[in-house]
Amino acid sequence: MPGLDYLDELEARTIFILREAFSCVSPLAMLWSIGKDSTALLWMVRKAFVGEVPFPVVLLDTGMEFEEVYAFRDQLVAQWNLPAANELCPPESTVDPTLPPAARHAARKTAGLRSLIAREGYRGIILGIRRDEQAIRAKERIFSPRHADGSWDPRSQPPELWDYYSYDVPDGAHVRIHPLLHWTELDIWRYTLREQIPYVPLYLARKGKRFRSLGESNITFPIESDADTLEKIIAELEVTRDPERAGRAMDNESEDAFERLRTTGYM
Amino acid sequence: MKNVRIVMVGDVDAGKSTILGRMLVDLGLVTPTKLDELETSSAKRGVPIEYSFLLDAFQLERDQAITLDLSRIWVRTPQAEFVFVDAPGHRELIRNLLSGASEVDAAVMVVAADEGITQQTRRQALFLRWFGFGSVLVAVNKLDLASDPRATFEERAAQVRTFLDQLGMRPRAIVPVAARSGDNIVRTGPLTAWWDGPTLVDALGTLERASSQDDGPLRFVVQDVYRRDGKRLIAGRIESGTLVRGEHVTFWPLQTGARVVEISAWPHVLGSAGTDASIAVELDARVFVDRGAVGSRATDAPELGHVVQTTVVWLGADPVYAGEALRMRLGTREIPVTLQRIEEIVDPDTLEPREADVLRSGDVGVASLVARELIAADVNVPGSSIGRFVLVRGGAIVAGGRVDVVLGRARGEGATNVVAMTSSVERHERSARNGHTGGVFWLTGLPSAGKSTVAMAAQRMLFERGRHVYVLDGDTLRTSLNVDLGFSDEDRSENVRRTAAVAGVFADAGFIVICALISPFAADRDLARAAYPNAFHEIYVACDLQTAEKRDVKGHYERARRGELAHFTGVSSPYEVPAHPDFVVDTAVHRIEESASALLEYIETHVGRR
Repeated sequence: MPGLDYLDELEARTIFILREAFSCVSPLAMLWSIGKDSTALLWMVRKAFVGEVPFPVVLLDTGMEFEEVYAFRDQLVAQWNLPAANELCPPESTVDPTLPPAARHAARKTAGLRSLIAREGYRGIILGIRRDEQAIRAKERIFSPRHADGSWDPRSQPPELWDYYSYDVPDGAHVRIHPLLHWTELDIWRYTLREQIPYVPLYLARKGKRFRSLGESNITFPIESDADTLEKIIAELEVTRDPERAGRAMDNESEDAFERLRTTGYM
Repeated sequence: MKNVRIVMVGDVDAGKSTILGRMLVDLGLVTPTKLDELETSSAKRGVPIEYSFLLDAFQLERDQAITLDLSRIWVRTPQAEFVFVDAPGHRELIRNLLSGASEVDAAVMVVAADEGITQQTRRQALFLRWFGFGSVLVAVNKLDLASDPRATFEERAAQVRTFLDQLGMRPRAIVPVAARSGDNIVRTGPLTAWWDGPTLVDALGTLERASSQDDGPLRFVVQDVYRRDGKRLIAGRIESGTLVRGEHVTFWPLQTGARVVEISAWPHVLGSAGTDASIAVELDARVFVDRGAVGSRATDAPELGHVVQTTVVWLGADPVYAGEALRMRLGTREIPVTLQRIEEIVDPDTLEPREADVLRSGDVGVASLVARELIAADVNVPGSSIGRFVLVRGGAIVAGGRVDVVLGRARGEGATNVVAMTSSVERHERSARNGHTGGVFWLTGLPSAGKSTVAMAAQRMLFERGRHVYVLDGDTLRTSLNVDLGFSDEDRSENVRRTAAVAGVFADAGFIVICALISPFAADRDLARAAYPNAFHEIYVACDLQTAEKRDVKGHYERARRGELAHFTGVSSPYEVPAHPDFVVDTAVHRIEESASALLEYIETHVGRR
């Protein structure tokens, strides 16, 4: 395969990062939100580890996902023989009441992640976030050390020279590993199409509407669209100027909503 | 389409984020809703529309109007696709700037018309050159502040040319812009009506993605070894060159080699794989390969040595002095090293080298690193990660570096066009005829511990039993093969390497080889094992220093105590006791004949006679 094309190159880098994570950080788990990004990532995990998934893949479950999402998960777990786990998130009454309403759902996930890490002692958590999704995520490192309480200090991120990552964290702390940072939304769909990766059907338009980004059913809204095939989604994204997460209420409630979520440990 | 990755550099407040924000708006890539948001955020802070807020997303960044950390932004123009890495200009945030520069194809330097080339700009340009950038695209910004934009631009452009020339870099283009008013970013404008050169976006269109290294020397960097369905798969990445199924690959620094019988890119198998491919390969022999090894063709191997001369950028908050022990991450290998010497640092003001004995945060300097282990490194092989490294102190990355020279075991001009031959007689055929297999039995211990005596006695007994056996004695070899070597750490290592190589040849020929060498360093003994990994036995001839010194067969201890022998193991040079020897004979407790018999039994068991 000399002469890698663009998608091959993105994929090769992701596989390199996944293998570094597996060699250098233990114990390790991956968060699988069942969305297009983490599902594509899961496919690359199988590539990286020659057909196997050598760590648990966890859904942070608020019980509020779309029905289609749960159904898709059960189907793929069986089809790919995945070591899947479910982490029930604590109820809304336990989170910071000063957050705007939609952000409180996100805070439940943060709390769920915190208790997962504390219980299982994970030192590394693999996540499918991308830099082009959101301006705060654009500032992330590939290996992002977190404090014991899960919080992120964006003002003192370690250097990340070439492909040398920081994976040493003190006991109790962990490192977030982001193997998809360099991908864009368009890249993910082009890759999903090329590799024939399964996806939740909610992304396809029905009756003039489709979901561009999937979150909890009560705080995620569809966009106007007629794209009912992957080819049409790709064509739509090639011309759109609208941000991907416009339908995610929690990002858009206030100027600093997403920054507050992330510095306290959101994905 | 492959996008071109570009880093934006320039002093604080030169307008890097503003240029990018303005570009997004003028290319029509920002929605009206987002523009409204921008106006609201700007008004809240009492400023006119602030384009940089499109990139500076942190609250603190917006409040202070500076960039704190790298941001990436994807931009599509009709001609090309770019990923911009917007780096902060602050001196304290150099680690962020360097992180950005290490992942891109090209650099844009922003110079503010009112300030010109500042000390921080000099420093950043120095880093760019250090990263290997030969050229840089320059934007002279803030021409809206100049009373005569044209004259100001020409003055600044001349200053930029002189400065880059001094650094040995060249400008790809020098373009006048005014980001706030949008002149000459995407389109020309009233402030730049006189300019007949390209707009910034046009000039960006001439930048190219770094070319692929498919034609370079093969470098396959090993990340891990996986076992799948009874197969042993070596997982890693090709960083230079092309790997073809069926070819022979040598893994460094242990110099083990085997033929590649399968290249796997699950769920497919490939006939060949090019640069940047992440693959897993199966070999035709069970040679020792693990994380950190680098595969190459035998004909264009990396350089080997114990000392590397490097250019480093120090990022640690605390300075570093010669003598500090650090860890070097080179490719996927982590190697304990000592900072042996700081030769000089580059003065960011004069760009001249000057003597220094300390590196502080932000310094670029030339330094030597020394390692006990053998280092396999590249000098000037584009793409290869064993040509660049980071240094780690207490778990944190504190420096980035480039290997300039590999010393300590020059392979010199030799050994480049050599391919190992496959023997016409197989090892098992020799064993069948001899009635036993070959092997290396490596006796290590203090001087006068009894290594040679035990070796000689065991040899006699084995010979009587009809075995093909030979003793390689350290002192004897020093009168012939190793006559050029002394007793410095370096020469001791070389002594071990040569002896091990000879022992490996004898063992391969079917001999039982007993080596008697002090071989005080664990790293060297590991290296010796690598010369014949399939049947190497580390045997510790244990004897406490007091007893050995009392024996003092050759009178050396006495001379060393008198200070007449430098580097005498046990007295003026350390002996590292084997942590996990394959076998131990204790000559302080047992008589020589007992020790020799014990060794005999051990050898017989391991050459297939028991």
